[in-house]
Amino acid sequence: MRVLVQLRPSPDLVAAVATPGASLTAADVAEGLPGVVLDRTFAPVAVPRPLPAHPGGDPLSLNQPLLFSLAPGEASVVVRGEIADDEISSRVSLLPATRRDVIAVYADPAIETTLTCGGDRPVGDWHDVARLLRVDDLAAEGLDGSGVALAVVDTGINAAHVASVTGRDVIVDRERSWSPSGVSGDPGDFAVDHGTMCAFDTLIAAPRASLVDIPVLLSRRQGATTLDGLLSDAIAAYAHLRGVLEAQPASSRSLVISNSWGSFSPRWDFPPGNPGNYSDNPAHPFNLMVGSLAEAGADILFAAGNCGHECSDGRCAYPDRPIAGANSHPRALSVAGVDTQGERVGYSSQGPGRLSVRKPDISAFTHFAGSGAFGADEPDSGTSAACPVAAGLVAAVRTRWPSSTLSASQLRTLLRRTADDRSHVGYDYDYGYGVVDAAGIIAALRRRAAKAA
Amino acid sequence: MARVLITVRLSPEADLHSAMRELGLEEDEVDTGYGLVPIDPQQGLYAMRVTESAGMRMSGSPAADAHSDPPIEPFGPPR
Repeated sequence: MRVLVQLRPSPDLVAAVATPGASLTAADVAEGLPGVVLDRTFAPVAVPRPLPAHPGGDPLSLNQPLLFSLAPGEASVVVRGEIADDEISSRVSLLPATRRDVIAVYADPAIETTLTCGGDRPVGDWHDVARLLRVDDLAAEGLDGSGVALAVVDTGINAAHVASVTGRDVIVDRERSWSPSGVSGDPGDFAVDHGTMCAFDTLIAAPRASLVDIPVLLSRRQGATTLDGLLSDAIAAYAHLRGVLEAQPASSRSLVISNSWGSFSPRWDFPPGNPGNYSDNPAHPFNLMVGSLAEAGADILFAAGNCGHECSDGRCAYPDRPIAGANSHPRALSVAGVDTQGERVGYSSQGPGRLSVRKPDISAFTHFAGSGAFGADEPDSGTSAACPVAAGLVAAVRTRWPSSTLSASQLRTLLRRTADDRSHVGYDYDYGYGVVDAAGIIAALRRRAAKAA
Repeated sequence: MARVLITVRLSPEADLHSAMRELGLEEDEVDTGYGLVPIDPQQGLYAMRVTESAGMRMSGSPAADAHSDPPIEPFGPPR
C-alpha cells in the first residue's frame, strides 16, 4: 500500500527541505524507516504547522482562524513510500514508536485514474488478450491445450456460439461432462449465457483444450428467481471431477477447473465459528473437496469476486473481506481482474481472503469485447472473465507439463513468481502477486526443461 | 421442500440405500436425486441433502453434521 510518512526531523533539515530549489532526497530525511520502501523519485515536501491566529486559541483545533508556519522548529516533512499490505497495521502503529521523528503515517490513495467499472464500454478485445497472453509464443512451444481436460463449472456451454465467434472448432468432452440432477440439456448445447462466456475465455490461450461442461449454476433452488445453484451441487460436481482425475493415468494427469462464481452474501451461511460455516471454515465439505482435488493434481481457479471498493456489485453483502470460502482457498488460485491496459478493474474484489490471507493470488484480463454472450456490444466482464482467461493459460501449460512433472502446487508458485508485479514491494491485495505473464512462464518452463534434460 | 446439507460417516463401501437404513431415514426425507456424494470415501465421509426435520432429528447424532448450503451465483457481469 502506498503511504505518506510525516516526520519532524532536525530544524536544519526542515529548513533545507523548505528552501525553494533545494535538492534533498527522501533518503536524506527518512532513510532506514523499518518496513517502508521509500519512493526516491518523490522529493520531500515541507508541511506548515497550523497555529491559532489569536493568543489563547486551542492549539489542537482546526476550526478557528489559523496561521500556517513553515518555521524550521514548527514545520514537518512528508515523504512517500510503500508498505506491504499484510504488514500495514503493525507498521503504522510501530513506526512512531520506533522512530521518534515519525509523526504519523497516512494512506496515499490513487487519484489519477478512473477505474473500469460495470456498465463501462469494453477496453480492447479478445485479440488484445491473445496478444497479451502471447498465444503465438505459447503455440510455438506446443502449449495450446491439446489433450488437456478443462472443466467449466458454470451455467453450461454453447459450443456452436463459441465456434462461431472464434472461427474454430470447439472440443467438448461429452463423456466427462456432468449435470446435477434435474438439469436437462446436452453438454455443449446449453443456452448462451455466462458459462458460454467463460468457455470462450478459456479458449483464448488454450484453443485445443477439451472442455468439460459442468452446469451447476443451472440447478435452480426452490423459489429462486436468478440464475444460481447451491453449493451442494458444486460438491457433487467436484465428486464427479475427482473421478475424472483419478481415471487418468498418473503419468499424464491434468485437469483444470475454472470457477467464476461464489457466494455474495453471508445471509445463507452459518456464522463464522459455527462448525457448519462455509465462508471461513476450511473443514466445510466443499472446501475439503477443493483441497483433496488440488492434492490429487487438479489446477483449481476461482474468480476473486466483484466486490471491489470502487464499484462493487450491488449484491455484495459481506461487510468486509469479500473473498470467502473456496474463492480464498489456499490450494486454489484466486484471480483478480485487470483491463487490457493492465489497470485493475474497480469491481475486482480485494484481499485479504477469509480462508487464506494472501488473496487474490494473481490478476488476469477482463472487460474486453469477446464472446458477445451478453450482446454484441457487451464485454466479457467481471472477475468471471478473468478467471477463465487464467485457466486457459494454465491449460496451455498443462499440454506438455502434466501434474506428474509439475505439481499443482508448483504451477501455482510458478504463476505467482512470474506474475508482472504491479506494486513496488511484491504482493498486494489489489493485484495479488501481479498480472499473469506468459513470457515469464515460458522462460521458466524452458529453464526447468533444460535442468531436467 | 427445504433441504439441508449434512455430512455423515459411513463404511467406505456405503451406498444411498444402506446409508438410509443405517441412519433411519425414509425415502421422502432424502433428496435421492442428489444421492450419497463421497467427500472423502477413504475416511467414509459422505454428503447428503435431507429435509429440515430429518436434519434436526440427526443433528444430535455423532454420525452426522449439518453444514451451510448457500446459493452460488456467477461473478459477472457486475450489476
